[in-house]
Formats: sequence, structure tokens, C-alpha cells
Amino acid sequence: MKIFCCKDRFEDILTCIYDAWSCALKEGHNNIRLMREPVWQQSLFDEYIHVDADREKTEKVIRSIKKSISNQAYFWVFYASLSVEEDALQSIYNFLRVGFAVGAGVCSMYANPHVMRILELKRRIGNESHYFREFARFTSLEDKAYVCHIEPKNNVVTIVAEHFADRMPSEHFVIVDDNRRVAVVHPKDEELYLMYLTEKEFDVLSRSEDFEDEYTRLWRTFFKTIGIKERENRACQRNMFPIWMRKHAVEFKE
Amino acid sequence: MNEIITDYTTEEKLNILADAAKYDVACTSSSSDRRGKKGFLGNTKACGICHSFASDGRCISLLKILMTNHCVYDCRYCINRASNDIPRATFTPEEICELTVEFYKRNYIEGLFLSSGVLKNPTYTMEKMCETLLLLRNKYHFNGYIHVKTIPGASDELLATAGYLADRISVNLELPTAESLSKLAPNKSFKTILEPMGKVSDTIKAHRVAIGKDARMERSRGNMYLSNSIFQSRQSIERQEGITEASVKNALVPSDGGKLKRSFAPAGQSTQMIIGATDESDYTLIKTTEKLYQSYDLKRVFYSAYIPINEDRVLPQIGTPPPLLREHRLYQADWLLRYYGFRANELLSEEKPNFNELLDPKCDWALRHLGYFPVEVQRAPYDLLLRIPGIGPRSAGRIIYGRRYGTLDFDNLKKMGVVLKRAHYFITCNGHRLYNTPIEESYITRQLIDTNGRDNWKVNNQNNTYTQMSLADFGIG
Repeated sequence: MKIFCCKDRFEDILTCIYDAWSCALKEGHNNIRLMREPVWQQSLFDEYIHVDADREKTEKVIRSIKKSISNQAYFWVFYASLSVEEDALQSIYNFLRVGFAVGAGVCSMYANPHVMRILELKRRIGNESHYFREFARFTSLEDKAYVCHIEPKNNVVTIVAEHFADRMPSEHFVIVDDNRRVAVVHPKDEELYLMYLTEKEFDVLSRSEDFEDEYTRLWRTFFKTIGIKERENRACQRNMFPIWMRKHAVEFKE
Repeated sequence: MNEIITDYTTEEKLNILADAAKYDVACTSSSSDRRGKKGFLGNTKACGICHSFASDGRCISLLKILMTNHCVYDCRYCINRASNDIPRATFTPEEICELTVEFYKRNYIEGLFLSSGVLKNPTYTMEKMCETLLLLRNKYHFNGYIHVKTIPGASDELLATAGYLADRISVNLELPTAESLSKLAPNKSFKTILEPMGKVSDTIKAHRVAIGKDARMERSRGNMYLSNSIFQSRQSIERQEGITEASVKNALVPSDGGKLKRSFAPAGQSTQMIIGATDESDYTLIKTTEKLYQSYDLKRVFYSAYIPINEDRVLPQIGTPPPLLREHRLYQADWLLRYYGFRANELLSEEKPNFNELLDPKCDWALRHLGYFPVEVQRAPYDLLLRIPGIGPRSAGRIIYGRRYGTLDFDNLKKMGVVLKRAHYFITCNGHRLYNTPIEESYITRQLIDTNGRDNWKVNNQNNTYTQMSLADFGIG
């Protein structure tokens, strides 16, 4: 069996799908698999093929998904590609197999396991990005710029940043994904861009969390006051605001 | 009592005024969708965004504060009534604006929820509130969500200004009947509450028609396919069609003409009722709710379980636990009205005026109408699917789409989000039941009470925390 591997970036993923597909036309779809790197444990009898990003192939894949399936399917594929799940790439491939066979109707085929799987992945990304829209906290660096650290499971930092770019178009801000060491930078009144951080840059940015000002204190006061003692319900609070997400939420820091 | 100069710091003021505002329920930031603009701060999302969850598990979406907790009224249930001896403070408009903008930039909040006690008189208070909002919108260029409470008895121009500046405007009904209102809130009357509500609702309609939208507020998409929902009834349509002229005549106009180039309350209006302070039945409450949705086209009706905070003869004693399960049931019923096409008199009746403690309203309805069941999910229409316990608007929609492309089985249903532990008593899939269970009221009731029991216990016993015993509990170690 041939196993196609690539880096965990959108262009690489689509190129990998392109190469795998052209190979499958000769060898059959069931005789190949797709995987994202790093591959922790290689199997003995399989052939591993590394694929690097290729602009042209990426564009071809995007074009044919949009044309032969639908824009919605492309949106699903994009979201699923951000997933941290191990089988994400294989799931996208399986979905596309169904999609190219059926056409635009594939997005309503809720009885198909491949479609359900990608829907599930898409939903998780959507949910997690919404969580971080809610729970991201910015630190003000002397009112000049705002820095925010998040540690999402899936790679949602770009989706989250888009939301804030619309929200605060005239502020300088940076959103840092601490796990992946990726930052999205938004200069005042300009477009967003993505940065892969070096060790040094990351260290400088991670110091931003020590900044606290008057409003952090005021917010803690407000947070403490607004809860009603007679209705206290910590279990519900934990349900709605899971503890692993509280890491950067200032109201839970003492 | 007026204008007592105190030297509270902002932090102390925030403490006092957030504490005074915490009993207000409506902390939603939904149903207004507005893109951000260069040079401005903020946008709004139709889905609403919660930014944190307080120790009581309620979401914190807006900076919920009172402008002042001075109040000339003496409503018996209220913590801020004139006869209570509590610290009183007043925010200046600048303080409120600073707080809102700085919190917003740090993504602590989604906007401002501004309410107030009555300082001097309603008009003066409302004037101050409008001043704050004007400052926030025009000087601080705040483009996020604002929810403003109107003060009953304020003038029409001020009501109009507030509506054009805010996203949502609301006035609290507090109690569902005129008698209990006069008993508990001697300074308020139904007229002073319903009149502004009517005016705001007419203005919203006139404004929506003027900008080319349907006169009625948007409702959940499922309502389009329901023929019998409360939003489709003759009563509400008649009122809708008769509106255009009448409401244009009644529409509020702000004092400075059309200078405020904003939408009038794009997120509609809402209201809130206290439950458990007086002895209305759930039937009265849910009937009132339905009427409010139909005749005033409210976006939401909120319920607040009364927490005894004042010593008073006519109120429950201090220490009485708030009726949380009842509040929960009322919200469940409210959802059934707005999303599931139920009507108030289907859920309750004069003979059966209160909700079942053990079962949720939808299960309860299904058990009283076993004749409709079992429903075949492959063929059932949307409105019938929605009536099955365990199936909601999402999963019903997925079933409708999914079954066009093939037959479904129970496994698919489960993946689509159907709660089979409740639904399987009421459905067949391709003519098969999941288990061989009888369609028999007493049997299903027993089973469902068992599955519901844990949830009910959680609502009622949320303050009890049981932990593993340790030796330290016995004084050892």
C-alpha cells in the first residue's frame, strides 16, 4: 500500500490529495492512504511518499472541488484540514471520493459515514473557533497594542483572528497560538498576516501576559460580583467554560 | 436622597452597581448582525457571544450595570427599593463609556447592558442614560452591542433616542398580572409598562418596513415550515397587516429628528417576569408570554426565579430557595413556543395549570397524545418530527435532508443528533422499533422519569457538593 504524507498546512494537504488521486487512478482508491506528518510509527510493508506543496496543483484541486461539487464542500474541506484529528486528511479524501461521484448533493447526504465524518470535523472546528472568540483575552500593552494567547486543540487561530479583524479594525493586535507557535498579526487599518514565530520572538511575546492594568482588576471585581450566591452552580460553570480553556482567562487567575 | 456626593472609586462603584444589576436576567447579545467599520470599535454577531460564565453558571455577555441604584420607587421585590438601607452610587457617563470600551478591547464583554434605578424622576434618569449612549456611540465610536432598559414613564423623545442608539431595548413586565403588580410595585402600573412597549414595537415595525424588511422580527428558520406556530396565527398576522398605517402614526421620533443614522432597535425588544414572588400559575405565565410574542412581537421573554432579598410580609421568607426547576420548565416551554410550533394551551390548561416536576413539557405533551405515535421518521412531516421528544430543529432538519438521499437507520439518527434514549419510545425507522417497547402511557412515563430524574436532581441540588470522604473529615491525619 502507498501512503502519501505531507506537512500540516493547507497547500500541502491539497497537493497531497492531488498526487494521491492521480496515483489512485492507476492503483485504485482502496490501495492508498493519506496521512499528515509527523508519522510516528511506520509500518513495515508500506511505501511512504512525501509530498511538498505545489501552487498549481493546489489551485487545480480547489477549482475542481468548487466546480464539480460546491462552494460549501470546499468550505467543509478547508475547515476539516484545520482539524487535529489523525484521520482528518484521510477523511477529506474519502469525502471527496463521494463528492466527485455525487456532485453538489453530497452536502445533504447525512446517511453516508464519510460525509458524517467530515461534518463532524467541520463542526468541531466551528465550535472550537467559537469558543476562542468567546474566551480569548487581550492584554493591553500601554493602550498601543493588544496581545492575546490561545492554546486551541485544532488550528483555529486564523478563523479566530478574522473575527477580531472585523471587530477591531483600527487597533494593532496579535493573536498567538502558543501550541503551534504561530501568530496572526493585525496592524491598524491593514490586512491580517500569518507569522511562524522564532524562538526569540515567541519568548518576547509570551512575556506580554505579565502585563496587568487597572481594567484587569476591575474586570475581576465585576466577575466576582455578578454571580448570584443563592444560585451558585460550579458544575454548570465548568460545563460552559471548561477548565482547560481558562488558562489565559484573567478572571480565573489570582 | 438626590445627588449625594460620595467619593467612591470606580472599582467600588462597579462593585455596588454590578451587584445591584445582577438580578436582571437578560444578558444576551444575539440577533443583531453588524459588520465592523474602520475607525470604529466593534461589530455584532447574530448568534450572540458569551464571554465568560459566572459562579452561578450564567453567561456574562454584556457589562451588566445600573447607571445608578438610587431609586425613588419602592417595589417590594427589588433590592434597590427606596426603603432599603444599602450603599448607593451613581456612574458618570464617562465612567460607563471608559469601562465599556476598555473591557471590549480586551474581549471581556460583548457590549453594554444599561439599566438604572429611578433618580429624581423617570425623564431625568432616561435623559442621563441617553446621554451616556450618545457619548458611547459618537465620541467613543463604539459599534458593539448595547441593551438598554427603558424607565417606565419617560418621555417619547427619549424612548426614541434610546431605541436608535441601542441594539435591544426592553422594559420589564416584572409580574404577569395587574393585581400582583399593584401589590408588589405600587409605583408602577400595567399601563406605564405596556404603553412604551407598544410604542417601541410599532416603531420597530415602521422602521423595518421603511428599510425594506418584513415588519415582523426574524424567527428561527424552522418557523417557516410550521403552519400552526404562534407567529403564524391569525391574531398576529391581522395585527401585522393592520400595522403599517397605525404604526407609522405611532412611531417614535427622536427630538433631534433623523440625525441618528442608525437602525431602530435591530435586535428587537424583550421583557422579563419574576416567578415565585406571587402565586400565578405556570399557565398564566406561559399564556402571557404567548400574548407578548404575538401582540408586541417581542424577541424574547425572560423569567427570573425570585430570590428573597427583602424582608416583607407579602413575599417569600428570606432563605427560601429560588424555584429553579420551575424557571427551567418555563424556559423549556418558551423554547417550545418559539422553535417547535407549540402553543400555550397545548402545553397547559385551566385544569392542569402547572408543569410536571418530573417530566419536561415536551415529553409530557407526547405522553398525553400517544395517539400520534409511533411516528415513522422516513415519512413524517417536519412539524410532526419536531413534536417527538429527543428530536429538535437541527436533527429534524437533518432528517428531512438526509432521507432524500437514502434510507436512514437508528445509527444514522444517532449521528444526526437525535437523543435516542428519549426518542426511541416514539418512533419507527423503516417500520422497525429500536427495542420492542409498548406504546403505553404508564410504561413510557416510568422509563422517561427515570432518564429525566438525573437532570432534575441536578437543577434542584446544584448547591450541594458531595465529595469523597477523607481521613481529615474525622480529625485524623
